[in-house]
Amino acid sequence: MSHTMILSWVTFIYFISFVLYLFRLITGKEFWGRAASFLAWGGLSAQAIAMIIRWRTSYSLGIGHIPLANLYESMVFFAWTIMLIYLIIEWRTKSKIIGVFVVPIAFLAMAYASIAPGIDNRIEPLIPALQSNWLTSHVITCFMGYAAFAIAFGYGLIYLLKNLDKDKTEKPAGFLEKLPALATLDTLIYQSIALGFVFLTIGIMTGSIWAHYAWGSYWSWDPKETWSLITWLIYAIILHARHVRGWRGKRMAIFALIGFACVLFTYLGVNYLPGLHSYLRT
Amino acid sequence: MWSFFSSVKLTIAALVLIVLVFIAATFLPPDDVVQTFAHQFSPGAAEIILFFHLSDLYHSPLFYLLMTLLSLNLIICSINRFPALWRQYKAPHFPEPADSFDNLPQSLIVTEAKEVSKIKLIVKSCLEKKYRSSEEVDTEIGSIFYAEKGRFSLFDVCIVHLSILVMIAGAIIGSIFGLEANINIKEGESVNIATLAKGDGIQQLNFSVRCDKFIVEFYEDGTPKTYRSDLSFIKNGQVQRRGTLLVNHPLTFDKIRFYQSSFGAAPEIKATVTYTVAGKKSGSLALAAGDTFDLPDSKARGVVLRVEENFMQMGPAIKLRIISQKKDIQFWVFQQLDNLLAMKPDLLKEMPIFNPGLFTPFVFSIDRVEQTYYTGLHLVRDPGIPLVALGGLLMIVGLIIVFFISYQQFWVRVEKEGAKIRISIAGRSNRNDQQIQKRIDSLCRQINEEMKT
Repeated sequence: MSHTMILSWVTFIYFISFVLYLFRLITGKEFWGRAASFLAWGGLSAQAIAMIIRWRTSYSLGIGHIPLANLYESMVFFAWTIMLIYLIIEWRTKSKIIGVFVVPIAFLAMAYASIAPGIDNRIEPLIPALQSNWLTSHVITCFMGYAAFAIAFGYGLIYLLKNLDKDKTEKPAGFLEKLPALATLDTLIYQSIALGFVFLTIGIMTGSIWAHYAWGSYWSWDPKETWSLITWLIYAIILHARHVRGWRGKRMAIFALIGFACVLFTYLGVNYLPGLHSYLRT
Repeated sequence: MWSFFSSVKLTIAALVLIVLVFIAATFLPPDDVVQTFAHQFSPGAAEIILFFHLSDLYHSPLFYLLMTLLSLNLIICSINRFPALWRQYKAPHFPEPADSFDNLPQSLIVTEAKEVSKIKLIVKSCLEKKYRSSEEVDTEIGSIFYAEKGRFSLFDVCIVHLSILVMIAGAIIGSIFGLEANINIKEGESVNIATLAKGDGIQQLNFSVRCDKFIVEFYEDGTPKTYRSDLSFIKNGQVQRRGTLLVNHPLTFDKIRFYQSSFGAAPEIKATVTYTVAGKKSGSLALAAGDTFDLPDSKARGVVLRVEENFMQMGPAIKLRIISQKKDIQFWVFQQLDNLLAMKPDLLKEMPIFNPGLFTPFVFSIDRVEQTYYTGLHLVRDPGIPLVALGGLLMIVGLIIVFFISYQQFWVRVEKEGAKIRISIAGRSNRNDQQIQKRIDSLCRQINEEMKT
């Protein structure tokens, strides 16, 4: 089976896993949760295998490189890191509820990678600017950061959803009751943002070291650099507001959404602006 | 004034404004577009754009002002915070904070079995096993032991803020004392003057760079694979260093780093020409149209009139003019003359001008005709880089401390209560973390186990 075939199956598996997480949320039956986690782990492993096959295939084509070099490959890796971080958190916190909000992000990333017009899933050779050992560390750290922010976004959504219900006097209806407590969600938002922030910082720095070797300057005000700095500053503002001003709850949730919008613009929107990071342009 | 610069509101305001400047800067079109646009539609707009440096906001007075405000804010906030932090760092560990043993998470062990002195030893050794060292004081109620972990994490935020200042300092040093320039060198030529990247200035180098060869390779699908320049660095008339320059692999000479940044086809094509006289082959000459050369022993001078990659579908060719005292003749030299003769044996009779031996006794031939390239090099000298790197390192260390390390303090009280001995453990952390209770529990378990044995 070719790796693209496996990746199509993985996309489908993530979708089913999402549906099962939804079943679990609505019915409250633990069976659905176990099935959803099982599928999610299965999808994650299959995707890892597919990425390794793609890596090996590139070597057999004589243009060997780690599959992190264009928009398609980065999108697939993004989905993978989201699932990886999510499943680790699920395993640590023993809570399967946020799967409903996070697994679909991974599914959408996979679906976007395979059906969006102009995204080419062929294995392409590396142009000279990308032939560097820094490619791997830069891309991995950045996407770990992006994935942590995606998860903070998921928590933010749950927080706001649950918060809608807070002012009502009658007992919360249906599945909202089953969502984690607001205080827990607040802590989880903060922890994911902190994790993402450390990874984004390291990602910007590895990028900067790479730019030093490739372009002759550690900082060139390329739009992608500037937008990653904007994202970094926005999360820095959130963290300061929390530490110094004691922002909690709803504000953190809203900022988690704004921050993630910024991440998405840094990742995808910037490609439409002129600049040095044009490897990702489609 | 002092309070203005030390307020968190200023920090947030400066950060928000910087973010807005960045957003504007990425969406505004580049310099030349803005200027032509503004000049066409309104000279007033052009003046505004020039005044605010809107087309290059990263180097505008507005941006510099914001960065200055932010830096001052960081410095003054740090100065304000530092004495309190230092007091906290140097704070005596005894007496324990008031009500420690009443309000803080704590665990009790009551035992009758052992001597107080033995229990004290156990507590001391447990603390030292976990936290390396411990202190002890005796009070009227009993003894209190103290141990701690991660005291330096009090300075976490200071380290992060300092790292930003160090990076800004590095960037300023780089922009004042650094050099950024470009050179284009044709293959075979050497250059010792670079064009500054900003403005129209030039920079005289105290050495020269020769491009021995430039190579561009492509993959099968046409994507570029390699840009490579073979360079020689010449100082005092001698080649001091040869090196291969690739993208991602800069070369350093005389504290200047060289980067492969562009390339292009030089306007002329070059032919590698040799000639034979009486069976002896000459060395090869690299010649472009317009070049001249001397022929030895005959006081003749050659001029290259044309260099063609494919002349009249007959392959690479050059047209030469040889001037001596007796003759002034012109003729063509083909690279694939043998093939042409095989197809048309009496070619030279029909077209004597195609005979490469027309100027006797010299017979000319071409090894190859090729496009010459120039290589575009980017030159950088940036004395600020060590500081920027140090700042980056400090920031990573600082952030790891901020998010993952806390200052944890533990007090253990051992007191006699009638026939029993009571051991109380209290702890606190500078962060709101749930770990502290776990650590107290684990310490408690350990003391319990030690007492059993």
